[in-house]
Amino acid sequence: MVISAPADTPRRRAPSSGVVGIFLSRPMRVVGLIILVLYLFMAILGPVVFPPSVALVANPAKIYQGPTWADPLGTDFQGVSVLAEIVLGARGVLMVGVGAAFLIVIIGVGMGLMAGFTGGFVDAVLMRITDVFIAIPQFPLLLLVATILNASSPWLIILMLSLTSWGGLARAVRSLTLSLRERDFVEAARGLRLGTRLITTRVILPNMLSYVAMNFMVSITGAIYAEVGLLFLGITPFTPDNWGVMLHEADGVSGALYTSSSILYVLSPMIAILLLQAGIIFVLGALDEVFNPRLRTGATR
Amino acid sequence: MNTLRRFGVALIMIWMVVTLTFFMIRLMPGNPIFDAYQTLLQQGVPSQQALVQIHILYDVYPNQSVVVQYLLYMWHLLHGNFGTSVVYTGRPVLPIILAAAPWTLLLVSIGLTISFFIGLLLGVLIALHRNTWFDNLMSQLASIFHGIPNYITGFVFLYFFTVILNWFPFGNIYNPAIHPGFSYGFVASVAYHSVLPIAAYVFGAFGTWTLSTKSAAMAVLGDDFTMADRIRGLTSEQQLEHLVHNSVLPLFTGFVLSLGIMFGGAVFIEETFSIPGLGYLVATSTAQRDYPVMQGVFLVLAGAVIVANFLADTLYSRIDPRIRV
Amino acid sequence: MSEIALSVNNLVVEFPTDSGPLRAVDRVSFELERGTIMGLIGESGCGKSTVAFALLNSVPTPGQIVSGQVDYPGVGDLLKMSDEAQRLFRWQHVAVVFQASQNTLNPLRRIDEQIRELATAHRMRDPKALLERADSLCRRLRLDSRRVLHAYPHQLSGGMKQRVGIMLALLLQPDILVFDEPTTALDGLSQESVLQIIREIHDEEGLTGIFITHDLGIVSEVADTVAVMYAGRMVERASSHTIFSGPKHPYSQALMNALPRLSGDPHLARGLRGSPPKVIGDQFKCLFRDRCEYRMEVCDQSEPQLIQVAGEDAQVACFLHGKEVERVSV
Ligand SMILES: Nc1ncnc2c1ncn2[C@@H]1O[C@H](COP(=O)(O)OP(=O)(O)OP(=O)(O)O)[C@@H](O)[C@H]1O
Ligand SMILES: [Mg+2]
Repeated sequence: MVISAPADTPRRRAPSSGVVGIFLSRPMRVVGLIILVLYLFMAILGPVVFPPSVALVANPAKIYQGPTWADPLGTDFQGVSVLAEIVLGARGVLMVGVGAAFLIVIIGVGMGLMAGFTGGFVDAVLMRITDVFIAIPQFPLLLLVATILNASSPWLIILMLSLTSWGGLARAVRSLTLSLRERDFVEAARGLRLGTRLITTRVILPNMLSYVAMNFMVSITGAIYAEVGLLFLGITPFTPDNWGVMLHEADGVSGALYTSSSILYVLSPMIAILLLQAGIIFVLGALDEVFNPRLRTGATR
Repeated sequence: MNTLRRFGVALIMIWMVVTLTFFMIRLMPGNPIFDAYQTLLQQGVPSQQALVQIHILYDVYPNQSVVVQYLLYMWHLLHGNFGTSVVYTGRPVLPIILAAAPWTLLLVSIGLTISFFIGLLLGVLIALHRNTWFDNLMSQLASIFHGIPNYITGFVFLYFFTVILNWFPFGNIYNPAIHPGFSYGFVASVAYHSVLPIAAYVFGAFGTWTLSTKSAAMAVLGDDFTMADRIRGLTSEQQLEHLVHNSVLPLFTGFVLSLGIMFGGAVFIEETFSIPGLGYLVATSTAQRDYPVMQGVFLVLAGAVIVANFLADTLYSRIDPRIRV
Repeated sequence: MSEIALSVNNLVVEFPTDSGPLRAVDRVSFELERGTIMGLIGESGCGKSTVAFALLNSVPTPGQIVSGQVDYPGVGDLLKMSDEAQRLFRWQHVAVVFQASQNTLNPLRRIDEQIRELATAHRMRDPKALLERADSLCRRLRLDSRRVLHAYPHQLSGGMKQRVGIMLALLLQPDILVFDEPTTALDGLSQESVLQIIREIHDEEGLTGIFITHDLGIVSEVADTVAVMYAGRMVERASSHTIFSGPKHPYSQALMNALPRLSGDPHLARGLRGSPPKVIGDQFKCLFRDRCEYRMEVCDQSEPQLIQVAGEDAQVACFLHGKEVERVSV
């Protein structure tokens, strides 16, 4: 075996190396993009295609049916079409995921910027608080808060999810701020006596925008994980059409675990979540390359 | 000196968690204690008696000021008094937690260790074979596994290996027919029951380790001393040793952070496999709104992560000569 | 005359890039006589370090030696030896004082541990003997051996690390030493003391080696012969005396313009505008023509080869010299 420096051997790629080229350079990235678009459609048009008042009605005659033309994914323990449940579930999952990611980014970036740019005592206090939030196992805390607040509205869930998971981002933004602070252009801005707020918002923030954008995507996956998890545990009150609820029922009341004819019902919500997460991860890889040209293959020194 | 400072920080963090919990449970709008008091009143219990009952149930004194309550709460915690369970009436919380903790510790630590070593191995291999089909395949796989929620992994394992294939037992951590103790039968039973949950932990975590090892190892491979080692004629084994040693150190912080994530994940894995550990305790006590137990488990988990953090930091300054003063 | 220690023949090294294989070293040939030091000069990126690595068949990936021989008389062509033989050859026969010496020590091992590792790697039964040699070398390099040997790299200053680098290079008593800009990363004072040490050792032992640098002043002092590289090609080779009294190649002349003493980047020297081209694939032109004040028609039509200058101890690759001019213009 030969141990040597990483070889950035160029791979064959399309000549265009703009954003489109980066996506096209790996087929999985295109797949990821298609998946995300598909989910977006499900979230927006789902209730039009499957009106909940019709699609979600129990039908004892059709319990755990295999796939048919009418119900391509079979039916659940109440005879409801699994496909309808999956499509209708997309809106709630995406909304909470995106909403929570949005708040996480706002809190995390805010705390990180403030700590990093102010320094001193404020920094020390903010970072200790951040450390506490990083150290606390997110899920048990979430459960505690969820039961106390008896959270039923999606907004409350968004709030809880973001309050329990901004720590890592705040830390990263702080160290980014610290390193940016030392750069020439920030020095220059300070020399011009621009105010702290102006420097942070006009000079530092734009420079970490790509990092923040990446983190937004990562936070979506994290929030979806936690949200579906909460529902899976049956802690937050149900909305009937959510993948987490399907999982919860698959694990509990439905008796799905005692029969293998329920396989489509059990697998569908999982695959729905996995595809969404995979789509985000693939697109994330592409964004990473768009934002960090250094990662582009074959870049010469 | 530094150790002392870190110890102080750890204590402060524990104090912050404890305080946060106190105010969360007792003072938030719609807090459970006030709710319970209202319920008692509605059931026609005279208010004096309701207060006594609340006191017994939640170990709080509703008619005292917040400051006194807080001080009493701290005092009790310092003496290991975490209150008594509401559901298992009268049973103190601490023994309940202590009975559950070993299972969680066992499964999480084995799962963490195995996933760490798998990730280390894969990460180093990927870095050594950068831009080959192996790198492409394994990096993609690692990031996909990194993104799979652990409850799904657990659920899939449970469904396929117990329901469909019937290879592994369903639920619990040992066969209740066997008397617990250090007998061969008991240990074997625990091992048998542990396979699936440990596998679920490993599948949930190895992707993360692979990715972070990969990037650490790539950085080391780009370092000048890697090139110099080769030119100095060091053997492949020596070079590999340097590579691994230098790549492992930056992973240390992540290792500690992952403890919190693993303990959090225990909620799902233990719930899925019905393992009577801390995660299961959190899930069931939450479902039953058994606040003293919830609060106790929560404090113990958070405390454990903070202490682990402190130990790891202290240890780190011992294994990385650059940190040592 | 004297014995040849190393002969390099038509060496070609390429780095793959998006637009094709980048030729970092192109058909370079030279010989090194025992007891002499060859200065290797040229702008940043012209391939000096790559030549040095190629001498040990250790070109950084993804680079590759495409063709050529690296022949060590008495040992043979290194490129044809087995992997294990090459490994043992490195450092025992040729050692390097690295360009970025600061970071060439494993940060997690004490210096003496790294010396022990060298002993193990080179199959020495008694690492103690090596440590003792390290100890005496340290004293010669004016290092506090007891402190330095027990230190981790981060506990040493830049100048100390560079001297440790020299110590490690001398440790196995190699036949040939390669100094790759041994002073570039140091401050003025440390530069001077490191140079002083190299001078001393050379005076006492008569080193055989290659000295890569940007600093022509040092070359004129230390080197017996000088080779000038441009864009991967060797454009001039002469005895130190000859080249400093009258460089033949316009590029060498441009480099020397700022003599007697030029520290830093020769890029800034008078008469040199622009930067060297990146060479991809075969070129049938002179690579320097765009920056050359003597540019002629031939320079666009044919590539000058390194040829002996009649009556002088010099070789040059330029149409201004030798018979090439006549032959092409016929
Ligand atoms: N790892 C690498 N990957 C791609 N190209 C490389 C690599 N290393 C060197 N090169 C290319 O090889 C050429 C020669 O580089 P080299 O390091 O030998 O130059 P140098 O003369 O030592 O320069 P300097 O004075 O800066 O040390 C450069 O043009 C560079 O682009
Ligand atoms: Mg160089």
